[in-house]
Amino acid sequence: MNLQLRASNITKSYHGDRVLKNTSYSFNKSGVYVLTGPNGSGKSTFLRICALLEEPDSGEISFLSDGKLLMNDIAMRRRITLLLPKIGVFNTSVFKNVAYGLKIRGHKSDGIKEKVDKALDFVGLSHKKYQKAITLSSGETQRLGIARALVIDPEILFLDEPTASIDQKNTKIIEDIIIRIKREERVVVVTTHDMAQAERLADFMVIMKEGKINEP
Amino acid sequence: MKKTVLIIILFLVAAILSEVNASSDKEIICASTTSTENSGLFGHILPIFEKKTGIKVKVVARGTGAAIEMGKRGDADVAFVHAKELELKAVEEGFFVNRHEVMYNDFVIIGPTNDPAKIKGIKSTIEAFKKIAGSASFVSRGDNSGTNNMELSIWKKTGIVPKGQEWYLEVGQGMEKTQRIANEKRAYTLTDRGTWLATKDKDNLDMVIVLEGDPTLFNQYAVMAVNPEKHTHVKYKEAMEFVNWLISKEGQQAIGSFKDKNGNQLFIPNAK
Amino acid sequence: MNSMTEGFLKAFSLIYNLDQELLGIILLSLKVSGAALIISSIIGVPAGAVIGLKKFPGRGFIITLLNTFMGLPPVVVGLFVYLLLSRSGPLGFMGLLYTPSAMVAAQIILALPIVASLCHSAIVAVDPIIGQASITLGATPYQKAVAIIKEARYGILSSVIAGFGRVMAEVGAILIVGGNIAGYTRVMTTTIALETDKGNFELALALGVILLIISLIINIALHLIQRKGMAGTIR
Repeated sequence: MNLQLRASNITKSYHGDRVLKNTSYSFNKSGVYVLTGPNGSGKSTFLRICALLEEPDSGEISFLSDGKLLMNDIAMRRRITLLLPKIGVFNTSVFKNVAYGLKIRGHKSDGIKEKVDKALDFVGLSHKKYQKAITLSSGETQRLGIARALVIDPEILFLDEPTASIDQKNTKIIEDIIIRIKREERVVVVTTHDMAQAERLADFMVIMKEGKINEP
Repeated sequence: MKKTVLIIILFLVAAILSEVNASSDKEIICASTTSTENSGLFGHILPIFEKKTGIKVKVVARGTGAAIEMGKRGDADVAFVHAKELELKAVEEGFFVNRHEVMYNDFVIIGPTNDPAKIKGIKSTIEAFKKIAGSASFVSRGDNSGTNNMELSIWKKTGIVPKGQEWYLEVGQGMEKTQRIANEKRAYTLTDRGTWLATKDKDNLDMVIVLEGDPTLFNQYAVMAVNPEKHTHVKYKEAMEFVNWLISKEGQQAIGSFKDKNGNQLFIPNAK
Repeated sequence: MNSMTEGFLKAFSLIYNLDQELLGIILLSLKVSGAALIISSIIGVPAGAVIGLKKFPGRGFIITLLNTFMGLPPVVVGLFVYLLLSRSGPLGFMGLLYTPSAMVAAQIILALPIVASLCHSAIVAVDPIIGQASITLGATPYQKAVAIIKEARYGILSSVIAGFGRVMAEVGAILIVGGNIAGYTRVMTTTIALETDKGNFELALALGVILLIISLIINIALHLIQRKGMAGTIR
């Protein structure tokens, strides 16, 4: 049974602007959820709150495993990850960027090397392993972000607008990668404002409008 | 790994500090004046003293006022200065003991070669100062040094208050710089013969001695030990060895044999 | 003009025939400033990091204070340390006045605000997205702080370079607390001041040139490390 996420009655305001209005949703099946809707509908905020990067003003995010409620502690947080639209490249090599998640989890360097190589191979960046990460193109940077997220083998992977800043050719590459990262017991949640892309990727379509999710 | 690096760095710092601070017990701090140090006298006599007694004398050069203050605060073991009134006062206050006169040099009044205030020919320093006042510029050290104190005591005797006057420039600099400023400003100043002899050619000073030989202008140097009853940590025994050596025949000879680069004797030993 | 040329010629002949006394002065300069810089960095970098990373009451005031201390005249620092370490002062019992340790202490007071303040600026300048990225990848608050500090490392290095510049060139404070004792607390800058006083301009200028060369070598080395890291821009 995979890790499940239940968001209940989430509200959030920025400077008096109510971005999320009592929003509830559950991600409980393996596969790709595509969260779509117009700009300013609250997709990113909802994702950031689900990924525990931000606190809601009210409401609750609960994670369940085998029907049991988990504590939202560091061990829990380490089972999920969020790829930000601007991924936040560390000013080191491509290899060290990808290795970061494993390093802070205390993995041994042999194991790290093997897993990082695998992740880089998966996104097609093996040949840039020792390059400085900040010199990558925007498409490559996005792939680096995916490798950095995948290497820690997350049970829930949030991707916030992963193709917003890149050209068509790279968008195609990223979409292919997203389709390939689906596996048993993994929830992938992608936000996009591109409806065509949403239809290409989605196992489950979620539509947001004015801070609310329209339940199907 | 990182901890090891940090420990190594700290160890290094500790090693540096302990090494640079390494000092033997047989050493004393002597508070003296910049003009004395700049004359090069210490470089000549201290090695002789150290060779004989094994005591290293560390000289800290300050203005006379600050040098005496150093002793009062217990930051020196012995003072070697030239401001009789200040010295006697400090001894009276109990800060110093065993004051002995060691040597003297003399002051001279220098001025522009063309002598605009017509000082040449005057024998009395007080008269000369009176004549300079108002008719030409005068540059003062203005730094509470021995020379400055000498100058101020002369002004006092003339009854003129020079401070704040347009023709009176207080520069707050050492002797040589003061001479150079006087040269630039075409002004008169009071200087010690040693500095004058050592620098007049080197600095291309277009100046001459306009008055010399007045007993008022003799500059007496004295040495005195910091009173161990005021400051128990001072190295009184070593300090007294230095004092006694300076006034001994050997010390007096060492002072008399000191010559500047041009072969001029700068100090005349006169210990009693 | 003439004495300028002579100064440079003398500088090179001095470097060429490096005598024992001059070597001692140069080494002491490096040791004193080096020790002061290392201690300032060990205290200043973490302090700057805490101020840059944590929000706490009085933080703004501390930053203002550090910036003020950055411009403190060395002579004032020298006088303060002198009064502190003087036998009649509160720390007089340690007997540190007129020792290299006193010089190190004065230089720490001069360098610490620079290192801490510039280090704080370097850390504040890190894109907040770096911290967010580390959190999404599973960092603890401490690991997040480490990630931000690592990201600011070249800026932090700059703060250390600036601190080095301040202590290496400084003369007012160490003259007062070190006493410029020949062979014991006489360093390059105090020697330059003394020789200028004595009118030995060529020697003073020559020492200035040597000081400049040493600073240049160290700065080039640090700059190379820095440029290596600064290539490209944050994406």
